[in-house]
This record gives sequence, structure tokens and C-alpha cells, in this order.
Amino acid sequence: MKRLILVLALALSACSSPALVGQDLPDLPPITGQELDVMLQRSGNPSVVNVWASWCGPCRAEAPLLTAALAEYGDRVDFIGIDVQDSQADAKNFIASFELDFTHYFDRDRSVPEFYGGFGTPMTFFFDRTGTLVDTHLGVIDERSLALGIDEIVSR
Amino acid sequence: MEFTLLWAALTGVAGLWIGTRLWTESRDESPAESIFDSLLLAAGVGLVGGRVVAMLAQGLNPITNIGDLLIVRGGVSTVAATVFAVGALFLTSGRQMKVLDLAAPAVLLGLAGWHLGCLWRGACLGTASDLPWAWAEAGSSITRHPVEIYAAIGLALGAIVVSRLPPRIGLRSGTAFALASGIRLATEPFRLSVTGGPVWWYAAGVVLGLAWLVVAGVSNRHPT
Repeated sequence: MKRLILVLALALSACSSPALVGQDLPDLPPITGQELDVMLQRSGNPSVVNVWASWCGPCRAEAPLLTAALAEYGDRVDFIGIDVQDSQADAKNFIASFELDFTHYFDRDRSVPEFYGGFGTPMTFFFDRTGTLVDTHLGVIDERSLALGIDEIVSR
Repeated sequence: MEFTLLWAALTGVAGLWIGTRLWTESRDESPAESIFDSLLLAAGVGLVGGRVVAMLAQGLNPITNIGDLLIVRGGVSTVAATVFAVGALFLTSGRQMKVLDLAAPAVLLGLAGWHLGCLWRGACLGTASDLPWAWAEAGSSITRHPVEIYAAIGLALGAIVVSRLPPRIGLRSGTAFALASGIRLATEPFRLSVTGGPVWWYAAGVVLGLAWLVVAGVSNRHPT
């Protein structure tokens, strides 16, 4: 039994965190809540806006789901990441580690979440194609809630 | 764990408790209390095992990110959780199939309670529907299948059916396993999903439950 536990521990240790690979990415452009709002109204597409930070454990937990959602709905929905209260270096490493291959903005002062309302990190906003906020999810988003939110904004 | 998820989990535990009280009390050899304790332990083991496997599948190291184990909403592998839970129940029951049989209807009722917990989580709805019982999210005009309620009703009915089966070794547990998988499989088309859902695993669960019944039937015919 002890041997089995040792083997399991070694196997899990081998799944080490990804190396720091984000430094080749360009710096994230800054954005304010008002600027994002104008952008969403002009885009003409439904949008999922995810507020995250590299220091946030729950953001790490939901990141793979966002990557999967991008692969599934990326042709119908715009995915936008808002990195809050973070450093550029850590943010870029986070994006590279989880292959979050969509547009991200830098929001050191939490201007975006304050503009739309809501507290904590992470949070996810769902906007229809006119830029109207349809739903806000506070905390880690699960697969069903994400799928439901996307279906709501795509169907409108 | 968010409080809404905790309430859903407690609803599942309530289902387990009611199930053990209803269907195991009269059997002296395995009192309801000990079965309920074993079921709670199995549920805990299943939850942790399922979460670890989900983290590994997502590329997260459970050792270096130990705190993320608590972020249940980040994902739990249903298949792994089932394997861990059934394994834990089997081991804690002294590897006696009759304990699995006694626990089977309570497990189905517990699962029904977990699905019914969608009412606290605000996560009952699935694909769009015009049926009279479909309802809409707050602020939405799109009515949807209350798919988690479908699953809860199916599992509760399954619990009643299983509780009425004759007490032959493996009959109740095999039927319960096939029913639980089958109900998930049948309701899957009404669910919204990002990754597609483990449909093939549910189908495999049905086959496994039926195989379990065949093996149990042979054993009952030729007792050792």
C-alpha cells in the first residue's frame, strides 16, 4: 500500500505546473469599463467577458473550461478576458499556461467589474449582440452555467 | 464550495438518509445507521477522487494546487467519482454484495436529491422547449426543459422500483447501476454542455449494470 501511494505521489508530481512561457506575448492593452461597453455595443456579436487574475485559484480552476468553450463556440461568440489587479508578466504566463487564446485586457484598478457591478474574482458577464448585459455569474463558473449563458446570448 | 452547491449536496444527503431509513431499517444484519455512514464516506471519497481526476484531465497538478481540490465547481469527473464511490462502499461494507444491494435504493434517492438540488443552485434548465412545463431563467423569455428535475423524478421512481425487487444477491445493485446510468443517458440530450458530456460512459454504465445482473443471476442459480 505504501509503495502504491509513493508511486501515485511521484506520478502526480510529474504533472508539474507548466513552465513560464508567456514572456513572448505582447503586453495586455489597458481598458476601462466604459471603453469595453462601447466596444461591445459596436461589435455586433454576443460576448462572454471573463474577469480573472493570475493569483486567483478559482480562475485557474475554470480556465480549462473557458478554453473548451472557445473551441466549441468561438465562431459564434466573442470571448474577452479582463485581467484585474495583476502584473503583466504573471498575466501573460497565465494566458500561455492555459492556452487562453482570445483577446485579453489589463484592468489593474478593476474598472470593468465596477462598471458592470459584482464583486470578487472570477466573474463572468454575458452580453447579447447589442452589447446589453444579459447575465452575470459571480465566482467559478461551471460547465452547465457557462453553456446556459452562452445559449441565452446566442439565441437572442 | 459555494453555498448553493452545499445546499444541493445536503439535499442529496437528505435523500440518502430517507432512503436508508425507508428501505434498510427492517434488516437486522445491516442497520440503517451503519449503511448511511458507509454511504456518506463513499460519497466523500467519490467527490475527492472525481475532483482529482478532473484536475489531472485539466492539466492541474493536485499536489502543487492542493487548495483547488475544494473548488468543486471547477469540475468533478462523474466516471471517476462513481468508480471511487462504489469502490469505497464495497470496501467499507466488508466486500459484501448484500450491503450494496441494501444501499442501492437509498443511493438512487440520494442522487435524486442531488439533482433536485438544482433548485437551490439555479441550475435546473437545459435546452429550449415549448412544452407546458418548461420554464425560463429570470429575465429571459426562452423557456427550457427542467432537465435536472427530469433526472430527479426518474431516479426517485427508480429507487422505488429497486426497493421492491426481490432480495437476490446483485439484483438491486445491478439494476440501480443500470438505471442511474440509463437515466443520465436519457436526459443528456436535454442538457446544455460545453464539452459534450460523457454520453459513452453513461452507455457503458448501462451495459455494466446489465452485465452485473447477468453475473448475479448466474451466481444465484449456482450458489457456491
